[in-house]
Amino acid sequence: MSRIGVFICHCGENISRTVDVERVARDVGRLPGVAFSTDYKYMCSDPGQTLLKKTIQEQKLSHVVVAACSPRMHEKTFRKAVEAAGLNPFLCEMANIREHCSWVHENIEEATIKATEIVGMMVERVKKNRVLPTITVPVTKRSLVIGGGIAGIQAALDIADAGHEVVLVEREPSIGGHMAQLSETFPTLDCSQCIMTPKMVDVANHPKIKLYTYSEIELVEGYIGNFQVTIKKKARSVNEDTCTGCGVCMTKCPQKKIPNKFDQNIGMRTAIYIPFPQAVPNTPVIDRENCTKFKTGKCGVCQKVCGPGAVDFEQEDSLIVEPVGAIVVATGFDLYTIDEKPKGSPIKGYGEFGHGKIADVIDGMTFERLASASGPTGGKILRPSDGKEPKQIVFIQCIGSRAREKGISYCSKVCCMYTAKHTMLYHHKVHGGQAYVFFMDARTPGKSYDEFWRRAIEEEDAVYIRGMVSRLYQKGDKIVVMGSDIAVGVQVEIEADMVVLATAIQPQKGADLLAQKLGISYDKYNFYSEAHAKLRPVECATAGIYLAGACQGPKDIPETVSQASAAAAKVMTLFSKDQLEREPIVARVREAGCVGCFACKKVCAYGAVEEKEIRDRQGNLIKVVAYVNPGVCAGCGTCQATCPSKCVELDGYTDEQVIAMIEAL
Amino acid sequence: MKKKKMLLSQETMDTGFIRKVETLSDTSVRSCFQCGKCSAGCPMATFMEHPPNRVMRLLQLGQWQRVLAGRSIWYCASCETCSTRCPNKVHLASIMDALRKLSWDAEGPSKESYVQLANKLFLQNISSYGRQYEMRLAAVFNVKSGQFLKDMMLGPKLFAKGKLKMFQRKNKNLTEIQKIFSRIEEMRKKGEAL
Repeated sequence: MSRIGVFICHCGENISRTVDVERVARDVGRLPGVAFSTDYKYMCSDPGQTLLKKTIQEQKLSHVVVAACSPRMHEKTFRKAVEAAGLNPFLCEMANIREHCSWVHENIEEATIKATEIVGMMVERVKKNRVLPTITVPVTKRSLVIGGGIAGIQAALDIADAGHEVVLVEREPSIGGHMAQLSETFPTLDCSQCIMTPKMVDVANHPKIKLYTYSEIELVEGYIGNFQVTIKKKARSVNEDTCTGCGVCMTKCPQKKIPNKFDQNIGMRTAIYIPFPQAVPNTPVIDRENCTKFKTGKCGVCQKVCGPGAVDFEQEDSLIVEPVGAIVVATGFDLYTIDEKPKGSPIKGYGEFGHGKIADVIDGMTFERLASASGPTGGKILRPSDGKEPKQIVFIQCIGSRAREKGISYCSKVCCMYTAKHTMLYHHKVHGGQAYVFFMDARTPGKSYDEFWRRAIEEEDAVYIRGMVSRLYQKGDKIVVMGSDIAVGVQVEIEADMVVLATAIQPQKGADLLAQKLGISYDKYNFYSEAHAKLRPVECATAGIYLAGACQGPKDIPETVSQASAAAAKVMTLFSKDQLEREPIVARVREAGCVGCFACKKVCAYGAVEEKEIRDRQGNLIKVVAYVNPGVCAGCGTCQATCPSKCVELDGYTDEQVIAMIEAL
Repeated sequence: MKKKKMLLSQETMDTGFIRKVETLSDTSVRSCFQCGKCSAGCPMATFMEHPPNRVMRLLQLGQWQRVLAGRSIWYCASCETCSTRCPNKVHLASIMDALRKLSWDAEGPSKESYVQLANKLFLQNISSYGRQYEMRLAAVFNVKSGQFLKDMMLGPKLFAKGKLKMFQRKNKNLTEIQKIFSRIEEMRKKGEAL
């Protein structure tokens, strides 16, 4: 016979206002199996929990029902208290008489009857509860970081500095990401390369970091603490071990007119190339699409001039499997392009701005490359069309961002600040030039941020015009900007030499495909979703996977670095234990009855169902049954509902328990 | 005033004028970020074609001709509510003052307001009589502004109360007062005053 203790909470007045808690305690006390029942003002408080613990020991209780708020709120609290009193925590259940009863009813008499029934149901249920042992899974103390921009670099360095091995995977031939492309950074105007490249070198030299550049994630299997990641290392056509990075191959390559993506296609590169001089690793890669050798079979100059003989045209893509315990996703962002409208994309373009048609209408990242000392113009602001210095330059903010009609309703967060920075860079580099900015709002929250954009106006002569631009068109070698100043209430027209568009931040192309490989969720823009917007901002809902940087949403550098370090801290927390404890609410297969139809395997969203062979003592195969890996199972119960022979049961939510609850009504 | 399209270029944005206003008023024109608080509290804003914030905005864009062509600066009562409440320390009342001073010399001053004419005649009277000669001021103003019968009916009332005199005697110390005028004129020539 069970000795059940029932504890009814007043929740201050939240419950006792509409439910006569004393009467509930009295009525429930008469139910068979209930040995003790009481009520208390705040069960979750320290005295409340002490009362619970003391009663369990004094009354020798076998099961506990706490009638209070939702189990989402305090189930963990009470199960912990029950465990402290010496009972298995899964012998404690909560009856929700707040959200399901007192908060939604007004009639005291009816609410009290309903509360009594809810508690009665849980009493019948808890009788069928079994002792569930906590599941432990081993933790592989290695981490995978996807993306080698500033977010990935920071996370990798932090985890590696804590003494754990890191596998860093980058899609491009060099790490560095977008930050390596920037000229100077707000709000202090320090040179991006100067603060970025030392970190890149640290990554390359760190004994705990294994770097895979020009590589992509092919497949992710496993679960928290035990992932198996297959990495596709694309053929570089240059042997990384023997190449010394002397660069002779690049000077001799006859293909010299290939637009360099790193320079936003305004600079040129060779077919065998490194994207920029400070690249890490400093090993060139052959762009097989543009290489004469790969196109016609003739050439091979790079191979002939290479001293160490590192050029290898025969190299093929290879697959590498890495076991890791945690994954940090730091795939970063891409820029919205207004002239390109990808097929099937809900994002629309801006015909009225002539981007892609008018050569001197460029985007912010192109301006960064023009202003960068290592850029194609050596840091001079020159027009792409004729190489002249623009004397009047117009910046337009919110291109793509905050334009619901164009398919993006969010604010890209960094454009106000980088446009202010651009006007300053322009003011420093082009003497006697004038910069104008068309904007809707200046959004500058952040340390020293508002001061920065005010400085652009008050000290660096930028003219900010509140109002948007309706149209841009070419007139001779000028671009006519048709805008308005809403403060004056008149139309404004400027004949500009160059126009810079602050285009929106979007997730990387293919972000959705990677999310599907990882089993993490993403929003309608393909930004990755965090587990909780406020309280779990760096974790994915999928255990063991963490987020860093702009892949989650638009972010600037300080924010990205903070989040990367936070993700690293989460990984270290996971790695601080050898074994990982998991809640034992997982599905179990009754092997005797299982017919091996594997309907459960088909419906399992987490890939937790495996095939298990049952053999006799001689080793003869009797049958193949389903097996649920308790490390992977998320306890959703879909398999239980699907099984035609009723042979899968979710611990803690068995059919027996649920039927007992219904019968108690 | 018609809302003409604004053509912005380095030429139209006369930064020299902005600097002059800034020196005269000892306040920064570019500090204004268009919150509109000055216009919100201005008692005269309803009579102005450019409320105070728009005066600032036009100045920032070098469109001072638009400001001086309007009556806004003359309607300003110098109550300094705007300056007191400005979150950016823009002393707008003193900018208005500077603009009134500058409009004296600027080409194409206010056509719509006779305040400047009244001010000029007022000072002319003082320089030639050493005091105000109301009858003459009113008569010359009405003739010059082309509104011959303006406020005519007030004349007899003021006359009866002795507020208006047919003939005004000159101030005893007229030469002293004229010295003040000539000194200012000298200073203006040297560029020490405006």
